[in-house]
Amino acid sequence: MTHPHTFKNEPLLDFSEERNRRAVQSGLREVEGLIAASAFYARPIINGEELRGGETFSRTDPCDHTATLGVVEFGDRKMAELAVSTCAQGLPLWRATSVEHRASTLNRMASIMRERKSMLTALIIREVGKTWREADADVAEAIDFCDYYAAEARRISPPRLTEQVMGEENHYLYQPRGVTVVIAPWNFPLAIACGMTVAALVTGNTVVLKPAEQSSLIGHQLAQIILEAGVPSNAFAFLPGKGEEVGPYLVEHPHVAMIVFTGSRAVGLSIVESASKVRANQRMIKKVVAELGGKNAIIVDEDADFDDAIRGALSSAFGFAGQKCSACSRLIVVGNAYEPFIQRLAAATQDLIVGNASDPSSFLGPVVDQEAYERITATISSASAQLPLLAQAKVPSQILQRGNFIPPTIFRDVPSSHKIWTDEIFGPVVACAPARDFNHALELATSSEYALTGGVFSRHPQNLAKAKEEFRVGNLYINRGITGALVGRQPFGGFLMSGVGSKAGGPDYLLQFMEPRVVTENTMRRGFSPDIA
Amino acid sequence: MTLDPLLNAKILDMGRHIFADLGDTDPSLLDPRYLNSVLMRWSMSQPEFKVNLFRLVDVLPTLQSNEAIAEHVREYLIPPANKIHPSLGWFISLCKNPLLANVAAFMVKQGVKQMASMFIAGESPSSALPVLQRLRGERYSFTVDLLGEFCVCEPEAKEYQDRYLDAIETFGSTIPTWKEGQPIVEGHPGETSPVCVSVKLSALYSQTSVLNFERSVEVLSERLAEIARRVKQHGALMYVDAEDSGNNSIIYEAFERVFGSSDFLDIPYPGIVIQAYAKNSEARVDEMLAFARERGAPIAIRLVKGAYWDYERIVSSQNDWEFPLWTKKQSSDAHYEHLTRKLLDNRALCLPAFGSHNIRSLSHACCYAESIGLSKKDFEIQVLYGMAEPIAKAFMKRDYLVRMYVPLGELLPGMGYLVRRLLENTSNESFLRHTFFDADEVSTLLKEPHLQPEDGAPPPQTEQRYTPSEAPPMPDHFTAQLHELS
Repeated sequence: MTHPHTFKNEPLLDFSEERNRRAVQSGLREVEGLIAASAFYARPIINGEELRGGETFSRTDPCDHTATLGVVEFGDRKMAELAVSTCAQGLPLWRATSVEHRASTLNRMASIMRERKSMLTALIIREVGKTWREADADVAEAIDFCDYYAAEARRISPPRLTEQVMGEENHYLYQPRGVTVVIAPWNFPLAIACGMTVAALVTGNTVVLKPAEQSSLIGHQLAQIILEAGVPSNAFAFLPGKGEEVGPYLVEHPHVAMIVFTGSRAVGLSIVESASKVRANQRMIKKVVAELGGKNAIIVDEDADFDDAIRGALSSAFGFAGQKCSACSRLIVVGNAYEPFIQRLAAATQDLIVGNASDPSSFLGPVVDQEAYERITATISSASAQLPLLAQAKVPSQILQRGNFIPPTIFRDVPSSHKIWTDEIFGPVVACAPARDFNHALELATSSEYALTGGVFSRHPQNLAKAKEEFRVGNLYINRGITGALVGRQPFGGFLMSGVGSKAGGPDYLLQFMEPRVVTENTMRRGFSPDIA
Repeated sequence: MTLDPLLNAKILDMGRHIFADLGDTDPSLLDPRYLNSVLMRWSMSQPEFKVNLFRLVDVLPTLQSNEAIAEHVREYLIPPANKIHPSLGWFISLCKNPLLANVAAFMVKQGVKQMASMFIAGESPSSALPVLQRLRGERYSFTVDLLGEFCVCEPEAKEYQDRYLDAIETFGSTIPTWKEGQPIVEGHPGETSPVCVSVKLSALYSQTSVLNFERSVEVLSERLAEIARRVKQHGALMYVDAEDSGNNSIIYEAFERVFGSSDFLDIPYPGIVIQAYAKNSEARVDEMLAFARERGAPIAIRLVKGAYWDYERIVSSQNDWEFPLWTKKQSSDAHYEHLTRKLLDNRALCLPAFGSHNIRSLSHACCYAESIGLSKKDFEIQVLYGMAEPIAKAFMKRDYLVRMYVPLGELLPGMGYLVRRLLENTSNESFLRHTFFDADEVSTLLKEPHLQPEDGAPPPQTEQRYTPSEAPPMPDHFTAQLHELS
């Protein structure tokens, strides 16, 4: 098999094909059987060995509190220490392998994930409550990260000459940073964990991966795939654990050279701060790549196509119950379009199907866990006391009590000082506000502390040109939804408080995992050099 | 595969005569009295102008103020207009002046309304009655389609269904009483009633989606059944339209569920649509014929080439899915003829309706039907209202039953339809464009189509040719009109 430098996205499943619907259905049956057989679990894997953790945690089905999906055994600080020291020992050998060797390892991971696609898709549906389409996209993105970073590593790694000068050779080359800690979120339980990990591995770093508590079962599947594909046991460690316990330990560890984090703003900033402190026995300045939240706005212009704008807003706001960093949580409607647009949006919202994630007809499923449920519910009820509610969908009574279901909720006339307008909620909640004109809309949209994604629905050429110029966010989408960035095609990430400006799935991403070196050799000896000899 | 030369010769002969007849009529899009024809000309010569003009047409109905209209006109049209002629750009820029802006906005609105009225017969069923009466008076049958916005919620879906129920009621209670309500072709199964509707099924449920497959089929079947019940009350006819390949699997399933049920076995010739540009269209035909056999009563099958080619191309390329349609127009044409013969061969199971503006395709259907001993009552021809009247007329005059597909609706939801029609008139592949605007050689237009190598055809063998001298020349005044427009 050849691995071309050119990259192609893993196609999303075409669900109009019956065989694709059947594939997910059979994946769900398979996973149901495995759950019943207690086949899913997560334990620390260090040096290739599964270790029994101390504290355990039962992951319950977000659609059904009474069902346990698997038991997670948490690693503690001792295991964290073991994981880092093992990866530090493994570094010289892994670093010395060829780029081609590491890149083909990633391609192998992609192949394994393709083979297990329906199982992985089904497990994502069950463990975090993604709907079919979202879960399929998660797996496809994980595959994409493997193939894309493999291609990128092959492209950028070969040492290159800086300039042609007689009698001198100047080589520009990269080396890995060292032991890398990956702290992954649960909202793209396979894709983001995989992307961050393989980016570090393919550039020659060794990795300690800490999955989110809520998605450790999928994390465990990923860890197995990484090892099966041929990553040496001392180049990769898997460490499920409580964030507050093992997280700081790993970040502060003097032998950890790099921390790659995707998650909340508060945790991200604390990592940046903590990583900046130099501790005893620490030899390097730590590098932090952090991708944080968003408070993303869609602007609907007066001349927008309402059909498109409503579809785009609904999928961006309520897909995966709004639990994406890229999700739309603010809607700004220009001028006279405000009232008619939000009325139609309200009607559309009321009819959305909230249901079990494994039911393909569900537009959205539950939120990830009880804690999220309580936090979001409290936010909605306190906002309801202060703001006019525009619309709220219904959760069918037979599932209401069983799982963490929150109906899509929209508030109208939200002032820009209100918490609902400024703070990330990470749930199916949208704040709407009118804008006097397009400039005002841009002002409202960009006054956020975040700058991750944004959207504009407009057919006004000048306004679109202005938006391209002034709507400064990491990913701006015009006349379409604002989620679902594709690896390679739409490199993803934001700036301001949304992150360090890194672009996952983009051409600059791998550079962050490496340090450049330059080797200059004087090739002239006694007045002759190879290039004129 | 190549046709029997004798049959092909008959097709060419019929086609040439049809072409000769076109000169007797004024194709509306070509009428130099209309600004539209000039715009269409520019569109075809300047791709950038075409894109911007169609985008402008698309956005116009949402614009509330004259100011907004004038602003959009300037922004969309000045850059490409300058490329056609600097004075044209200058002329459009005049509408910056507030007074002229009002005039310009009025003119543009009128222009688009006029353009739309060429393809859309009215806003409501009752307002369309005069058009329908005129059509039947001119010996055209019709089927009415209600243009619908994309439906986002259940009240909208319900409203759309009510519009159908209301249309059937309005038509069913008036049209049969007209003297024009009498059968155009006596004894033709398509004329058991003068009232016929075509239903865009997916818009009857706001949550139609391939993932929501079971529920979509279930809900749509219920709502379609309600419409069928009304159709049955009035003894009328109906078709269920085809859509993009995503929704089609839902549509065929719902069609079979409703018209296979004992409640509707007595509805004569319930119609379904097959798109010949789809690679799976032959399987669809087989499925529908099997369904008719099982049903024990024939259905109507409208065979079209398909109207979503560009859309499907974009969707499948963005997703890297296998393209479900033929990549070459000629392959669709060839497959269309293949399916035409299959439908006619199975006349006992279906009443074929050939929906096309392609003179070759239609002549092929007529000649093949005759060659296997069928009569003109064994099939019908369908064309889009406002698209190809001269062609429709030529077939009507030869006593074929010609049914016009007549859309009704307001301007806003009608825009999508209008833009599709404009694209169809101006696309490089369009038969109408080649016939009326480009005035291609008749012999070229009538040539037998073959499946193309890109679509999996075996390497081409020696081609059948016949010399252009056999074809009658374009009538003089017809070509003169074309020159006037250029």
